[in-house]
Amino acid sequence: MSKYRAVFIEEATEHLEEMSRGLLELERDPGRAEAIDLVFRMAHSIKGMAASLGYDPITEVAHRLEDRMQGVRAAGRVDAADLALFFKGLEGLEAMLASVRDGADAPAADPWLVHALSAPLGPPKKKALSPR
Amino acid sequence: MARILVADDASFMRQIIREILESDGHEIVAEASDGVQAVEAWKKHQPDLVTMDIVMPRRSGIDAVRAIMAIDSTARIVMCSALGQETLVTEALQAGARDFIVKPFKPDAVLATLRGALEKGDA
Repeated sequence: MSKYRAVFIEEATEHLEEMSRGLLELERDPGRAEAIDLVFRMAHSIKGMAASLGYDPITEVAHRLEDRMQGVRAAGRVDAADLALFFKGLEGLEAMLASVRDGADAPAADPWLVHALSAPLGPPKKKALSPR
Repeated sequence: MARILVADDASFMRQIIREILESDGHEIVAEASDGVQAVEAWKKHQPDLVTMDIVMPRRSGIDAVRAIMAIDSTARIVMCSALGQETLVTEALQAGARDFIVKPFKPDAVLATLRGALEKGDA
């Protein structure tokens, strides 16, 4: 599967750019369904691609993002604390993809990020964005 | 050997599926990157089988299954799913999909599922 690595890096990079675009749209309009769908689909797609190449940490973070955005889909809008968390998730994926691009394995997923993304959706949590 | 339509919004995944299927002698008659394209490509090529991703833009894989089954209730469609999509897979099977394969794809499992779906269609 290593021959697919370059294709993965190229397509995952595009997907993360799309995810960023979606999150910026949600910053302006937290209930924008198209942007919620876009972020959900990008996370889903990255999850499937990363799993195919055995990049388990990327798969895990993308999976958590996808699940959380599924909750946002049901709620119909994203709150400010969750939006900040989604941006953290995006940053995490970008950092892991950068490692892969540099020829390394994907580094382990940030346990705080995985934990925060797995927490139930709810009202803003002041401590949730103080990772380290 | 079967004529197959591959529908997935990630070109990366389409390439992987294409390689697995072509290694078994199947012909990929078309690729689609969203549900709208999948239905159009099905109408144009009337393939023996479709591999259909569930989550796609413009029209979901499940909606595309419904549209294709409304045209031809004997169409053979296998869903491509991922971890945590059990509910959507069930919905797709209820809509008429024959079976499903799970990412990450294991070539032997993919080919066995597709052979099963093709044989079921001949019964």
